Amino acid sequence: MASVSVEAVRKRYGALEVIHGIDIAIPDGEFVVLVGPSGCGKSTLLRMIAGLEEISGGTVRIGQRVVNQVPSKDRDIAMVFQNYALYPHMTVRENMGFSLRLRKAETEVIAERVQRAAQILSLTELLDRHPKQLSGGQRQRVAMGRAIVRNPQVFLFDEPLSNLDAKLRVQMRTEIKALHQQLKTTSIYVTHDQIEAMTMADRIVVMHDGIVEQIGTPLELYDTPANLFVAGFIGSPAINLIRGILRRDGGRCWVATEAGVDLPLNGDAAGQDGQAVVYGFRPEHLTPVENSGLLSRIEVVEPTGANTFVYAELSGAQICGVFSERRSFAAGETLHLMPQLDRVHLFDAASGRRLAA
Amino acid sequence: MRKIFTEARLALIGILILIWTLIPIYHLFVMSITPRVETFAGALWPSRPTLENYETVVEQGHYYLEHFWRQLWNSAFVAVMVCVITLAIAATATFAISRLKVRGGRLVSNMALATYLIPPAFLAIPMYKVMGIYGLLNTQWSLILTMVTFASPYAIWVLKQYADKLPYELDEAARIDGASPLQIFRLIYLPLMAPSLVAIGTYALLLAWNEYLYAFLLLSADKDITLAVALGHFLTTDDAPFNVLMATGAVYALPPAAVYYAFRRYMVSGLTAGAVKS
Repeated sequence: MASVSVEAVRKRYGALEVIHGIDIAIPDGEFVVLVGPSGCGKSTLLRMIAGLEEISGGTVRIGQRVVNQVPSKDRDIAMVFQNYALYPHMTVRENMGFSLRLRKAETEVIAERVQRAAQILSLTELLDRHPKQLSGGQRQRVAMGRAIVRNPQVFLFDEPLSNLDAKLRVQMRTEIKALHQQLKTTSIYVTHDQIEAMTMADRIVVMHDGIVEQIGTPLELYDTPANLFVAGFIGSPAINLIRGILRRDGGRCWVATEAGVDLPLNGDAAGQDGQAVVYGFRPEHLTPVENSGLLSRIEVVEPTGANTFVYAELSGAQICGVFSERRSFAAGETLHLMPQLDRVHLFDAASGRRLAA
Repeated sequence: MRKIFTEARLALIGILILIWTLIPIYHLFVMSITPRVETFAGALWPSRPTLENYETVVEQGHYYLEHFWRQLWNSAFVAVMVCVITLAIAATATFAISRLKVRGGRLVSNMALATYLIPPAFLAIPMYKVMGIYGLLNTQWSLILTMVTFASPYAIWVLKQYADKLPYELDEAARIDGASPLQIFRLIYLPLMAPSLVAIGTYALLLAWNEYLYAFLLLSADKDITLAVALGHFLTTDDAPFNVLMATGAVYALPPAAVYYAFRRYMVSGLTAGAVKS
């Protein structure tokens, strides 16, 4: 196992730069998820770490070794691809043993390591089948098996669950996480699915347009997003964001919206009087109150059993509230809502950056 | 009703084409089992069918058939060599173009196809000259190299269409697993391309086996020529032994038929692959 460090890494295709100098330090044994919308450069970054793409600038280190010029096969990494990339003409056993066979390992060693990986992944029954005789989930497990027999320094996952159906995806997510807890191999996992990122990662790297927006644990990103992009990307249903002007008067502080609604803030909120800001609060940080609070009209109610999702209009914007208590909501009803003031996020409207208290 | 009519029409066309194709073969067969005296009797079936013509062929019992076995061997040798060399060239070229993504590869494959703008017959004299310069005239290698020249471009073109369809992640997975380019070629590319290689190999084999013009031009000694040329020699006299010629022709037609039959499964899928430029 080894740490991975990415220092000022850039990627250019001709004149077009798609990754603009990225720094990430991943300590030994950590499970890091690179997440972001399509085209943000997360897969390209992973492929540069894998040695499948050339590095246009900066340094990639695995352990203490700079690997910029080291071919993939000598980086001691294993990769799981989105479409599995199993060799169709080989059995599961041959697929899993292929890398050891190339490294001229003894037949008994290969057999033993394949057997052990198959046990970990419950593939023992399938060892003599060909990939086309397996279901999607089984193929994905074989792809992981191929990675773990090598006992590499680093696992790389490139959207490995995207081709699976929803139920299987949740199951495999848990399996991959459990596997990591068992093997403790440094892992870098790329996905566009923020739920996958939140549930699996030790730390998440949020990427957007070839830069890193924020690096942190799932709850850090959720509770203190560094900017509007991260706030909007992490969390489902998404955070509520309303534009307005920050107002201060004596010890009081609020955000005035264009529609004339005053959104409440704690007195110690950051920012200048008159500054254009974005007021954000998570759907579950809304509480229905009796009289005071913000007046909003319910548009749609979605009960899911555990929670009820309420979409309502507030100051010209659509907001979402998630309520766990059993209370009846009806479309068309007006509701008094109050955000929890210590959970309100304030962002500068121009730069999108979080205004720190 | 309309559908039945359409299908009946298609069936009729099919039957006509089938008859049109089979009549020459039928003639060949009937004449090959007809005794010499009845050669042009014009009967649909000989009154006394005989295998004596085939005996003549097998025992080399005719002036024109003095080297029959030798010539059959020559044909087989040339065809197999052309098949092997064409496959080697096409497989390595398409691996480089499609998988290693060598710079200019696309240009090479397009240029390969462009060589078909010139009919092979136009190149007969230049090719003869080239072989003369290299001192290869009257050797089977001249014919082999010529046929490889004509077979390779098409082979590269068709194989490339197939190679492009293999997921590139397989190569990447193999690279990460520790494979060198040659190992990827041997352990991943060749096994996965096997069906199309069979189709292309068969194509090259039959192209060389059936070749007459270049075989006639480049080879002259009776012991060196292929059976196709030997068959042509039958017609150099007014008194050609047609029934022996037909028996020889029937024997000559058997190996390709067998090869085609054995690999028919690959032929259809393999050769239509290059039909559309993708």
